[in-house]
Amino acid sequence: MNGKRHTIETDANKTLLWILRHKLGLTGAKPACERGDCGLCTILLDDEPVKSCLVLAVEANAHKITTIEGITKEGALSTLQTKFIEHGALQCGFCTPAAVLVATALLKRNPSPTREQVVESVEGILCRCTGYRQIIDAILDASKINPH
Amino acid sequence: MLPKFDYFAPESLKETFSLLDTYGKDARPLAGGTDLLVSLRGGQEPAKYLIDIKKVKELQNLSFNDKSGLTVGAGVTLNRLIRHDAVSKNYPILREAASTIGDFQVRNRATLVGNICNASPAADTAPALLVLNATVNISTQDGTKKVPIHQFFTGVKKNILAGNELVTSIDLPIPPEKSISAYMKARRTMGEDLAVVGVGGLGAPTGGSGKEIRLAYASVAPTPVRAFEAEKIFRKDRPVDELVGEAIPVVMKAVSPITDVRAGKEYRVNLVKVLTRRLVKQLWEAS
Repeated sequence: MNGKRHTIETDANKTLLWILRHKLGLTGAKPACERGDCGLCTILLDDEPVKSCLVLAVEANAHKITTIEGITKEGALSTLQTKFIEHGALQCGFCTPAAVLVATALLKRNPSPTREQVVESVEGILCRCTGYRQIIDAILDASKINPH
Repeated sequence: MLPKFDYFAPESLKETFSLLDTYGKDARPLAGGTDLLVSLRGGQEPAKYLIDIKKVKELQNLSFNDKSGLTVGAGVTLNRLIRHDAVSKNYPILREAASTIGDFQVRNRATLVGNICNASPAADTAPALLVLNATVNISTQDGTKKVPIHQFFTGVKKNILAGNELVTSIDLPIPPEKSISAYMKARRTMGEDLAVVGVGGLGAPTGGSGKEIRLAYASVAPTPVRAFEAEKIFRKDRPVDELVGEAIPVVMKAVSPITDVRAGKEYRVNLVKVLTRRLVKQLWEAS
């Protein structure tokens, strides 16, 4: 979990989202639809974006998990996070942890994405504030700077 | 809130079959969980035992050879399938269809086998598998039987599996030489959406009269369907517009669109006609 090992006891019917928020105090991942539609619970499982409301905590056992809290190293914002601010890619901020995580994963596997590829990467995040343009611009801008 | 259940993570096929034998109807295999967890939470799924198949090595295989074709193990995710070179090269319709499912995060977990076992009439991979003549490998402790994909779906969210049976993989033969295939999905939004109507098609030269055209549909019947009768019409040496005109009434007999939250019946009927015409002409011209 963000570079540290944790041992947690849990029931089989608890999701990864639930234990992140209730057992680890990591509230960056948000419970909204809890049916895999909105994407605001997105975290990185073995560096891949997944919806944590659709992952049982037990399924995540012995896997690498990255949440938004793991992106900010010692309080310093990542390049992506800085670009999000510069481009106004967040208003209420509710989708922002998920958006930053999918963007981080995208730029790791594809450092120079096309606009279309950026759009595809955020299709699974429901943002009701920005209209997505600022999010997409921020990600493309960040991709021009290396490393992120 | 998810209901209470017991969770198992077997590490061998033998253990998996044994668990299914023990718990049968009360058990569900768990792969990506992108349908199962939603159903569990919604109370539509009475499973008391979840059997996670992701640690079973034999079920994670994705391989191609140019004699027998493609094998997709039960645990292979859609993104893994989409990224596979042989899939892009030899089964473009499958890649296309899989790419329209959910979104990127969902495709990191959802599996091809899960998509067909969930057996939604809207399953996007189904038209692709139907026109590619896929075979479903169904296994228990006692062995494996092979079922053609068009016999796999038996009703809305119903498949042919008995309580202790597991789909271990799907096989796809090599498509006909010089064939072209495509999937058209009518939807309300370009982001995440179920198919309002889905049409999959394959076209190939025959060396005889007309062309080989295969057509399959999602979201217009209780199950995904292949339009076998309509396909026969295309093996004639007549202009494609004429053949399409003759085929469409026959297609309409194979489907039974309904009105639901996503679209009205009349709109779906119209979409079937329009997309069939569009797809057949595209395949005809290119093959």
